[in-house]
Amino acid sequence: MTFEPKILAFTCNWCAYAAADLAGTARMQYPTNIRVVRVMCSGMVHPNLVMEAFQHGADGVLVMGCHPGECHYQDGNVKARARMIVVDQMIESLGLAPERFRLFWCSSAEADRFVSAVSEMTDRVRRLGPSPYHQGVGLSGETKEDLECASR
Amino acid sequence: MRLTVAAEWLNSCAGCEMSLLNMGEDFIACLRILSFVHMPMLIDHKYFEPMGEKIGFEFPEADLGIISGGIRNEEHLAIAEEMRRKCRVIVAIGTCATHGGIPALINMFSNDELFRRYYRTTVATDAADTPAVVVPPLLDRTYALDEKIRVDVHLPGCPPHPDHISAVLTALMNGEQPRLPTKSVCDTCPARREGKGAVQKMRRYTRNPRHQADKPLTEMKCLLENGLLCMGPVTRAGCAGEKGEAPQCIRARVPCRGCYGPVQKNGNQLLDMLNALASNGIDIRNLPDRQAFLRFSGAHGRLNRPGWKTRDRQQEETAGPESR
Repeated sequence: MTFEPKILAFTCNWCAYAAADLAGTARMQYPTNIRVVRVMCSGMVHPNLVMEAFQHGADGVLVMGCHPGECHYQDGNVKARARMIVVDQMIESLGLAPERFRLFWCSSAEADRFVSAVSEMTDRVRRLGPSPYHQGVGLSGETKEDLECASR
Repeated sequence: MRLTVAAEWLNSCAGCEMSLLNMGEDFIACLRILSFVHMPMLIDHKYFEPMGEKIGFEFPEADLGIISGGIRNEEHLAIAEEMRRKCRVIVAIGTCATHGGIPALINMFSNDELFRRYYRTTVATDAADTPAVVVPPLLDRTYALDEKIRVDVHLPGCPPHPDHISAVLTALMNGEQPRLPTKSVCDTCPARREGKGAVQKMRRYTRNPRHQADKPLTEMKCLLENGLLCMGPVTRAGCAGEKGEAPQCIRARVPCRGCYGPVQKNGNQLLDMLNALASNGIDIRNLPDRQAFLRFSGAHGRLNRPGWKTRDRQQEETAGPESR
């Protein structure tokens, strides 16, 4: 059985979520590994949310917003970019590869870009294998204890 | 009815016990109701025989157990577990007990590195073997109390302010849930805040802020806005006490170092501080003293040895290419 990763995507209401919607109405095909959470702006995604997703077993996390300069709230995505550096810096302290996280811009018209981002992320995470936090992965007792501690 | 109290110190410095005694008249009032049946710092009764005369510990039963310090070796662990068995309510007192405290900084190093450094490579002493008899063996890292035993009340602080120790004891004597500060140090800080966005680069907390020492604190510009790494935004309030003028470090006009641990019990001071700085346009990639954000809260797996970082990679390597 091939490994099917679980990927969480925080998509902004005005661009990325609209792009996902457009991809749906245009009946474009993309992997079903993604779970979309609609947020009003990528700038409101606290790094804690991303870290928590990983701790609860997400194999990959995407944060998607409008292109820089096109934010509905003027500079929300610029804030998102600044905040997501925190995730880049903290993800290794969870014992995870930085490639499991990605910040991505796409406008509401770019359904193809959304689809390719999701496909690319799914491939990438599938190559990386299940997250150590993923349930059912055979971990040694010590490792499991460490992870439980880290995720508290 | 008198309540019996057992107090223990584990991986700690006795500062919390000092703070308990610093309650002053409140402590005298408490003694009318509380009866200390066990407290190594104040009462000398042989309860543990490391040389083998007795096996294990002899603890009296108590209504209330107060434990300061985290858990670093097997003796700490055994004492903590025995306290849990003998006491109805366990209070973790001090940041070492609640979040690991200063001793948890060792979690960045392995025990081997520790022993090599202190027994074999210090310049000033002769090399010696790692002690193996009499001293209890170390655990792999420093643990906060609640990682090993169930804790009923968490009272962080380095040390906790006597006002709050008093509040906890009083509440427990009356059978109530203790009420402790829930906001951040900034919330109790009188310094003048002018607005975000002006600071581009942070300086180490050891640098001097610009202020006029003859002016009151209310006229001092916020130290974070001065460009100093002040941990106020991500640190639990409380060091000012109930009626204090200002947080203690701020009163000395130096930045908060974060000794009360994260604002929320399960918070992460490093993550929250980086987020706060990043959200205000400060480049967090070149911050001075980054690890020091977890200076007081390194337990719960927050501070790790560098080897930890490759865990995902290790899994990848052991799984081999077939699984891809």
